[in-house]
Amino acid sequence: MNILFWTAILIFLSFSIQLIVWKIHLPKRQTLFLLFIFFTVLVFGLFSIKFFFHSDSILAVNAYSEYLHISLFFISLTLAYMITYSAIEVDSPSLVMIKTIGSAGTNGLEAKFFDKIMNDDLLIMPRLQDLLNDNMAYYKNGKYFITRKGCIFARIFIIYRRLLNASEGG
Amino acid sequence: MQSSLLHILIPVMAFMLNIVTQVLLYRLIPKTGLLKSIFICFIFVLILLIGTEILFAGSHPLDSNALSIIVSNIIIYFTLGYCYFHFINLGETARRIRILRELYSATDGLSTEEVLSRYNAREIVNKRISRLLHSGQVIEKDGKYYIGQPILLVMAKIIVLLKLLFLGKESEFSD
Repeated sequence: MNILFWTAILIFLSFSIQLIVWKIHLPKRQTLFLLFIFFTVLVFGLFSIKFFFHSDSILAVNAYSEYLHISLFFISLTLAYMITYSAIEVDSPSLVMIKTIGSAGTNGLEAKFFDKIMNDDLLIMPRLQDLLNDNMAYYKNGKYFITRKGCIFARIFIIYRRLLNASEGG
Repeated sequence: MQSSLLHILIPVMAFMLNIVTQVLLYRLIPKTGLLKSIFICFIFVLILLIGTEILFAGSHPLDSNALSIIVSNIIIYFTLGYCYFHFINLGETARRIRILRELYSATDGLSTEEVLSRYNAREIVNKRISRLLHSGQVIEKDGKYYIGQPILLVMAKIIVLLKLLFLGKESEFSD
């Protein structure tokens, strides 16, 4: 039962620390900071379990394979949470559209309405800025260029979409 | 029963099998659709995973530790599957990835106007409205949009609540 128990405790602890840090000061690079918190808790948590819960304890983790299992469980939950968090950090156009249509209620929403509120300044420019902030692109002489990091990132998706035989997307 | 290396490998192998089967299914039968191929292969491998876990546990007494390992592995498989779904979805819908790919294909860089001529708000809105209408989440009647199925609306409301909890505001553009 210890794998489930300790993973739940470590996730809850990471989540609580994140909430406290976010309430004090919202980090500029939220996902990176989130990863830092979760992986620090994992490392310190595993050492604490080893140090404080000896083999006679009911909560002891006795084999190294169990530590690995807790780590895998924790990392998979962290990745899933990180992906979900990106929807909190950045507004998804589909969800904004759904929310706007929902707010109109039974009166409905004019089909032309989105042309007025969903413009390039709202949907494209902030994402271009994100690419600059994340060092995936740089701006020089009035043009945007892709960086080495951006190339690697873009290639992963290009190769995978080729593998799937999928269209351009976006 | 104590967790062994084999127990750890089971959900990882299942996840890899999920990817391979999904790629094969979508390549061989493209009309299955991307979303459906992900879902079918996820369920197929999940059944295999549960079967393997039961077979594996059969040789040991089913105590709380054994149950904990089985439940953990099923959750690990679910979360990895969820990550894979989002990875494919990123390539399909993420604006950052699409802009990055436009920059990747332009060796001389792109000005703001050139970026917007290749990818812009109108394209984003049209694609998403068409997806929402196609999936029945939104319905169009007399030139007006209405909510069809409320699933995405509920999700949008949950996201707003989480935004308020973490960021203290409803939108990234709110003050």
